[in-house]
Amino acid sequence: MDATSKRILEYLTEVEEAAEDVLTNKQQIVDLDAKRNRNREALSALRNDIPDSEKVKVCFGNMFIKLPKSKTREMIQRDQEQLDKEINDLRKGLKAKVNHLQELQGKPELRGYSLSPLSADEIKAINSLLKR
Amino acid sequence: MAGQMATTKVPEVRDITRIERIGAHSHIRGLGLDDALEPRQVSQGMVGQLASRRAAGVILEMIKDGHIAGRAVLIAGQPGTGKTAIAMGIAQSLGPDTPFTALAGSEIFSLEMSKTEALSQAFRKAIGVRIKEETEIIEGEVVEIQIDRPATGTGAKVGKLTLKTTEMETIYDLGNKMIESLSKEKVQAGDVITIDKATGKISKLGRSFTRARDYDAMGAQTQFVQCPEGELQKRKEVVHTVSLHEIDVINSRTQGFLALFSGDTGEIKSEVREQINAKVSEWREEGKAEIIPGVLFIDEVHMLDMECFSFLNRALESDLSPVLIMATNRGITRIRGTNYQSPHGIPIDLLDRLLIIATSPYTEKETRQILKIRCEEEDVELSEEAHTVLTRIGLETSLRYAIQLISTAGLVCRKRRGTEVQVEDIKRVYSLFLDESRSSQYMKEYQDSFLFNEAQTTQMDTS
Repeated sequence: MDATSKRILEYLTEVEEAAEDVLTNKQQIVDLDAKRNRNREALSALRNDIPDSEKVKVCFGNMFIKLPKSKTREMIQRDQEQLDKEINDLRKGLKAKVNHLQELQGKPELRGYSLSPLSADEIKAINSLLKR
Repeated sequence: MAGQMATTKVPEVRDITRIERIGAHSHIRGLGLDDALEPRQVSQGMVGQLASRRAAGVILEMIKDGHIAGRAVLIAGQPGTGKTAIAMGIAQSLGPDTPFTALAGSEIFSLEMSKTEALSQAFRKAIGVRIKEETEIIEGEVVEIQIDRPATGTGAKVGKLTLKTTEMETIYDLGNKMIESLSKEKVQAGDVITIDKATGKISKLGRSFTRARDYDAMGAQTQFVQCPEGELQKRKEVVHTVSLHEIDVINSRTQGFLALFSGDTGEIKSEVREQINAKVSEWREEGKAEIIPGVLFIDEVHMLDMECFSFLNRALESDLSPVLIMATNRGITRIRGTNYQSPHGIPIDLLDRLLIIATSPYTEKETRQILKIRCEEEDVELSEEAHTVLTRIGLETSLRYAIQLISTAGLVCRKRRGTEVQVEDIKRVYSLFLDESRSSQYMKEYQDSFLFNEAQTTQMDTS
């Protein structure tokens, strides 16, 4: 293989890798959100449907284990926080990755305003004006 | 419009949107420049004035890139040479995101507000602040909605809502408030909805395509949308542009119902402005806000007086300053509020800071073009001869007068049930309405019979 085709191959590999990276990231966000929703469903089921004294069956991998309700809830909540954090991190990284891909493909960078969001209080004040 | 309907007495069904008032510059869509900033002879409603349009285009590009702020441009030229048209063209091509404030020079003289207050409000209206809001929304297609009413009839309702995207599906428990707003929005299975997590606000985006067959009888306003993709809980970023003046207003408003009685004069305290400036620059440093210098257009700028001009001088130097575009049709004249003569009625020191664009009178061909464009805009059909006659009138009297004649001649034509305006229609309205020179001719002949006649006031007093 001569130098040119080698370079082209390298370049294409790089682009493919970057694209793959973006796609996995997106899929991972979806999967994590699905998990988050299942956890949320579990939490509300624990809250509403089951009396406090009862133990609940929790599925770990391919085994069901009976655990006290409070313990289970704590576990799920911790899991939930972890998931939220992970999704946030993935989202943050996604923009940079998409831009990296665009750059590799020789396309112009996706133009946003790269602003950081206002805090909830500030937005409340502004919203009273925006929703005239 | 209403007048036209009455004279013809033809019951005509018109679209609601079509009944817009037709303004003098409503035909202008932009500056009519190509990508290389070269003006096209006729484009986007603009005709002729190639040099000044090109100059305006250069300034426009600089404004768009955010290169210039705190600069001022003067468009000077005889009456009826398209000064306001160029300013409108700039406004149109700036797009909706760049703030554009138009003001007539005489608007600042009001009893309720001081002149400088009116000017600073106009300045601040022309500066945009771009801010970002981040919200978490739940977006999905409603698979099933199930609401249980308690058997007693009163008491809390409970319910379940199943939402899905193309990739996942989940069940939400519904509280009382959620049930209420769902039934208020008349959400049913098959709708695609978003729920704002922070406020709980539900909005319907439309019905899912997959359910299109279920409902054959459907209102025209029903929109079909795809089932959303990806995760259910999404993050949405919304970028808003507000003007500095709007931020001023929310912060200066007296809180609560007292605002009704406090006798708001509409003036904003300078302390409030300073605080807002400080806050906005703080936001800018934190990357939370972006300043967009917009455009402030002051028409008939010779109507401003000396104080206003010195205020402008000062205001242009502040770091939060928009691009100021002024227009005037005066030559060397007295500066209002003084006895000094100056070109355009603007003090020399301010004039020195301006970029001046001159407009020149239209040629016959250009006048013809403009009249044609106006005819299209006002929905009047003109025959070839009538067009020629009207062009002559436009050249000999003024372009504005000729444009006025278009709609009036259109009326006369409709009255006699013609489809096309003929030379006779033009002649008729020409005899009905006087132009400026014929009117002054008339005055000269009959001035003795008018009231309060003090002959020979040769010059119009503008101060």
